[in-house]
Amino acid sequence: MTERTKDGELPDDGGKVATATLERGPGPVSMTNRGQRIMLWTAPPAGALFIIGFFLFPLFSPPLSPTLSPEQVAAIFSENVTGILGVVILCNLIAASLVPLFAVIAVQISRTATSSSVFTYAYIICVGVGTTAFILADYCWGVAAFRPDRDPQLISLLNDMAWFFFIAPVGTIAVQNFCLALSIYLDERPDPIFPRWVAHFNVAAALLLIPSAFSILYKTGPLAWDGAVSFTLRNAVLVIWAVVMFFVLLGVVNRQGDERESLA
Amino acid sequence: MSDTVVTAPEFPAESAPPRPRNRKRDQWIAFWLVPIFFNLFGVVFVPLSWMMPPRPPNNPTPAIVEFMQSHNLLIACAVLTVCFGLASVGNAVYLIQIKRMSVSPVFRYSVMMGAMTGTIVGMLFPMFCFGLGAFRSGYEPSTLSMLYDFGYLAFIGSLGCFCVMWMSFGLAIILDKNNVLPKWLGYYTVWQYVTELMAAPVWISKSGPFAWNGLMTFWFAMVLYVSWQIIVYVCIYRAIKNQPDDTLETAWLHAEVAPSDPRPKADA
Repeated sequence: MTERTKDGELPDDGGKVATATLERGPGPVSMTNRGQRIMLWTAPPAGALFIIGFFLFPLFSPPLSPTLSPEQVAAIFSENVTGILGVVILCNLIAASLVPLFAVIAVQISRTATSSSVFTYAYIICVGVGTTAFILADYCWGVAAFRPDRDPQLISLLNDMAWFFFIAPVGTIAVQNFCLALSIYLDERPDPIFPRWVAHFNVAAALLLIPSAFSILYKTGPLAWDGAVSFTLRNAVLVIWAVVMFFVLLGVVNRQGDERESLA
Repeated sequence: MSDTVVTAPEFPAESAPPRPRNRKRDQWIAFWLVPIFFNLFGVVFVPLSWMMPPRPPNNPTPAIVEFMQSHNLLIACAVLTVCFGLASVGNAVYLIQIKRMSVSPVFRYSVMMGAMTGTIVGMLFPMFCFGLGAFRSGYEPSTLSMLYDFGYLAFIGSLGCFCVMWMSFGLAIILDKNNVLPKWLGYYTVWQYVTELMAAPVWISKSGPFAWNGLMTFWFAMVLYVSWQIIVYVCIYRAIKNQPDDTLETAWLHAEVAPSDPRPKADA
């Protein structure tokens, strides 16, 4: 991509930005930075709970094969009612607990100097949609385990639906990452909010996640929902992405200082 | 990157020095993603899966089973799963115009919330209902019929989230004093709310003009919707094009004197 500012204008614009920043930051609003840091630090415990839930979930170790017959699926559910319901309840409670991390990203996207808030809004809508998809997956597994003596056809249907909602809807995460990346690439500030590698990193993460959308086309192989790409790679990418972004955001929020963010 | 419209000559802003580069690139990228998304949407629904125009609600069971198990339906669902996030970008394009209006944030927040729920109930959920039937061939016809009904009813019969979006968007345009979008578009958009009401009987009728494939609820509503949608995007295109540089959110970077509060004032 191209540099935002022409070389000759850099010192000039830089001076103006400094003035603007000073004038935009009156005293009482320095709380915004503290608030963001508090919200950001809720992410590590949330992430830890997600990882605990992941390893305790009976259907993930190993991930349930899509080739199982409805009777086999129903048998697995009735053998693991406690484990499934325990994790379902935990995930019901923590389902939205990474939202603060996304919200801090949205705030920082709105601080990048682009001509509108379009990527901030798209990001926020995607977070709402993606979180709901995760909750629906959780509920489908929960409803299946709630009455495991239900018709195996229905247990299998609920299980299929849960895996669909859990693995496939990466479209929103991809758009989120592209929104963040574009904001970074287009940031006109002489002193950009995010380092540029964060944009490349988010594009790479999005590209690695997209293949799992095709998990609904396969029952075996790497793209199936229990496969190397759709399950292992996808979840690993999400964990690495969250950890890296947490540390990136710590730096970004600390550098923000007293500068106020505008209302999106 | 540079193929988007050059806006500077039309509105020479006094305060900003002329810039060779397009300063609205973020808006143009988001804007042009919308026709791409709608075209994909059209290709997936019509020639690929023949999900649209809708199959009749009173289809005989064997026909439902054949349709629900067709592989193209599954491919259509996979393609939509990849790109359904672009719907958020399309909605964000409305939101940035509402933000420029002299109205309270309540309007854009309402549109935003309607957009979130609408994407889930009107797109993601029905899409997976169709996908599930095709994913596993062993489901009983009764299960497939239920998924078929759930899919079409949620696709065509999800109303409330769109009602709140059209209402808030329309009201914002009408109350706006910055003339971001033309006033007639506001009345047109509020009227679009009424066409959503027309689709309500799909939950009752199984055949005739008010069924989900009926003349009134599908064809007439679709003609009204598509033409409205195109007109809205043409108006938004002009709004982005005509937005003066000194009202861009980056104006403080380029202005001689930085504004004390860059946020727009709301009086409605």
